[in-house]
Amino acid sequence: MDALWIFPGQGGQYAGMLKQVPAALRQHVETLLDLPLLDTTAGYADSVQLQVSITLLQVAQVQMIQKMGFRPRLAAGHSLGVFAAAYALDCLALDDLFKIVKQRAELMQQAYPVGYGMGVIVGLTRAEVTQLVAQVTTTAKPVFVSNQNAEDQVALSGHLVAIDQVLELAKAQGAAKALRLNVPVPSHSPLMHDVAEKLQQSLAEVTFNRPHGIYLANDNGHAARQIIPVRRDLGDNLVHPVYFESMMAVATNYAPDVIINFAPGHPFKQVLAQKFDEQHQLYLAQFSKADIHYLLEKWERGSNL
Amino acid sequence: MSDSERNWASHRQAKAAKLANVANLLDGKFAKTEAATQILETLISSGDKVVLEGDNQKQASFLSKTLAAVDPEKVHDLHMIMSSISRPEHLDIFEDGIASKMDFSFAGPQSTRVSQMIADGSLKVGDIHTYLEIYARLFVDLIPNVVLVAADKADHQGNLYTGYNTEETPVIVESAAFKDGIVIVQANEIVDQLPRVDIPGDWVDVVIPADEPYQLEPLFTRDPQNITEIQILMGMMAIRGIYEKHNVQSVNHGVGFNTAAIELLLPTYGEQLGLKGKIVPNWEVNPTPTLIPAIESGWVQSIHSFGGEVGMEKYIAARPDVFFVGKDGTMRSNRAFGQMAGQYALDMFVGSTLQLDQFGNSSTVTNGRLSGFGGAPNMGSNPTGRRHSTPAWQSLKPADDPLARGQKLVVQMVETYGANKRPVFVDHLDAEEVRKEAKLANVPVMIYSEDTTHIVTEEGIAYLYKTDSMAERQAAIEAIAGVTPIGLRSDPDTLKDLRARGIVALPEDLGVRRNDAKRSLLAAQNMADLVKWSKGLYNPPAKFRSWS
Repeated sequence: MDALWIFPGQGGQYAGMLKQVPAALRQHVETLLDLPLLDTTAGYADSVQLQVSITLLQVAQVQMIQKMGFRPRLAAGHSLGVFAAAYALDCLALDDLFKIVKQRAELMQQAYPVGYGMGVIVGLTRAEVTQLVAQVTTTAKPVFVSNQNAEDQVALSGHLVAIDQVLELAKAQGAAKALRLNVPVPSHSPLMHDVAEKLQQSLAEVTFNRPHGIYLANDNGHAARQIIPVRRDLGDNLVHPVYFESMMAVATNYAPDVIINFAPGHPFKQVLAQKFDEQHQLYLAQFSKADIHYLLEKWERGSNL
Repeated sequence: MSDSERNWASHRQAKAAKLANVANLLDGKFAKTEAATQILETLISSGDKVVLEGDNQKQASFLSKTLAAVDPEKVHDLHMIMSSISRPEHLDIFEDGIASKMDFSFAGPQSTRVSQMIADGSLKVGDIHTYLEIYARLFVDLIPNVVLVAADKADHQGNLYTGYNTEETPVIVESAAFKDGIVIVQANEIVDQLPRVDIPGDWVDVVIPADEPYQLEPLFTRDPQNITEIQILMGMMAIRGIYEKHNVQSVNHGVGFNTAAIELLLPTYGEQLGLKGKIVPNWEVNPTPTLIPAIESGWVQSIHSFGGEVGMEKYIAARPDVFFVGKDGTMRSNRAFGQMAGQYALDMFVGSTLQLDQFGNSSTVTNGRLSGFGGAPNMGSNPTGRRHSTPAWQSLKPADDPLARGQKLVVQMVETYGANKRPVFVDHLDAEEVRKEAKLANVPVMIYSEDTTHIVTEEGIAYLYKTDSMAERQAAIEAIAGVTPIGLRSDPDTLKDLRARGIVALPEDLGVRRNDAKRSLLAAQNMADLVKWSKGLYNPPAKFRSWS
């Protein structure tokens, strides 16, 4: 059975989501990072709490599925999700993973404390959004075209004033949706250059293993089978748009039998429905452990027919 | 240098020297499965032209995995020649530097990665060929140094049985065997006695037992359950407005649900129209299960096939009057002859596409997906040197010119909006942009406007061959392009004029009632019905067995 494992980034978090995480694992991470995790709505307003908690939840789920005897053929992380994706492919050790994620969150928090963020436009093409952005962006209040989550879904990243201006223009041009995202950082834009540079320096010190499977890179959707592109993607995906649409198009070339969506949230339902029609899909957040085990075993038997 | 000094057999000597280097790994022609990587590393030299067998059905999957495992220090910069880029490792070898250049025809299953790897320079494209061009050039300027092919069975002399899925094996092996290339075969099993010999052992250098049977896709199986009433309507229009009108005797179909609908309408709707015995007795097509009802009802006299189809083995064996079957009872396919027949012998080709431009050019290459093409560019082109006397060919001959030639019918059947809810009819093909990005010599057009004689949509049929200017051709296309931006340019007066002159036909002009296009009109509603029609001889692959 060839499985595609998908790890979302920030956005789907909710208070209490860490209750599913085994206590020993949570304690280990809290001690390692010297960071008590709050798992509350107020706590998730803090970037460090948020990023570490999401990664912890995803790592716990990876360990759970691996204990059932399943491994991914392909792993795709979106933004923060790249860390759990790399972990799922055995690219780096658990402790290194959490230290890097904490550092990433701290750097992001310090870089743009106020006035910056992200937006999303649904219903215009990337080319159309690019034209609108060119009309608005200035050195003082920059805005960039960012993530491509589906063919008609383009994110913006930059100064909030400029983002709002682009969103207004998009609405006037007939966008089905144009709104700000609840992300307090101009992620996936050149504004993150300094953060990415520091992160890459730290990653250079970390021991990596060749991925046991295919790692789908954020910045171009390419299928990576070597250490170098994985390390690069973990370090600099903040500077580049996430081409999730391309990542999924590449995934179709590997014809996976099963898609496992890791928590939290289900931000990719639409694009997954467009790209895949024959695959079994599983949202870990929606099933009990016993049901997940049952379904995966059943699908594995089916794929061996 | 005088003639007496010149070495006229340097290739033969080079081949003998290479084979001598693997002699310690061989028992006669036979190698151990575990020695495969070492054998490829020894017999393949950097820069060699290598054919790796693989089409859209059959894959030399053991040898492709083995090639991906060779040491790039030892073997690099190969020039791959492959009719189809189908498996992930076909591209991994480029990422790892084992290969650097690719000549190919079809890349559907890997089209996104092909596109990316051309953009980042890891894959250099020689040409994107039609199938016949790639086969033909194996004998001209793409003569391979090594070919890697797949057989079902080999005997102890190295004779091969390739059976139903003979496909491209003969043309590939022949190009190497008689020009001092090295022929390496993966075999599912080694046996004492073959059912029959498809490739003589004399042409084979090395046989390696594979770790598992070669990959084989049931690519041409369409579940009748998924045929829509729009597709049935289009099928009815095509039968009346094209098959019957042009008295079509021989045909190749694409493998979409549109054409599956036509196959399933012949025994019902075709019968009602009294067309049995009058149209399409002769087929060049893969043994599609949806043809079973037409065969069983006596519509079909002959079918020659490019390849086999999983599950059809017993049915074909029991119908040797219809299929090409060896004395042993198994079908023999041949992709090269199939393409040749498709291009040169047939009255008509019916296909589908993702984009049609305002002039009638079509392509399945879209932004970000460099898919190449299957059989359509050969079968969907008009061989102008042909001189058929068949009624269909003659019916497209202009009446006013004594030297005028007929034309092959090339039909595109498309719904005006595709599955992705984007218009199929566009001003410009994405392929034009893709040519620039991938730096290709030619825009990857699948079927050119001048070769396209008919377009069928849910709106009606455009008889493009009747138009006598590009403006008129565009108007005919607009008239059947529905509510796409192209279609919205059409106006009622032009439509009326085009209908009056027979350039465009709507369903009512053909006597087709939209309300009659019901699923109940299909000779088989689902896979179970096909099994019943086959008298239990058809054995659908597991993924199509939803009813059991």
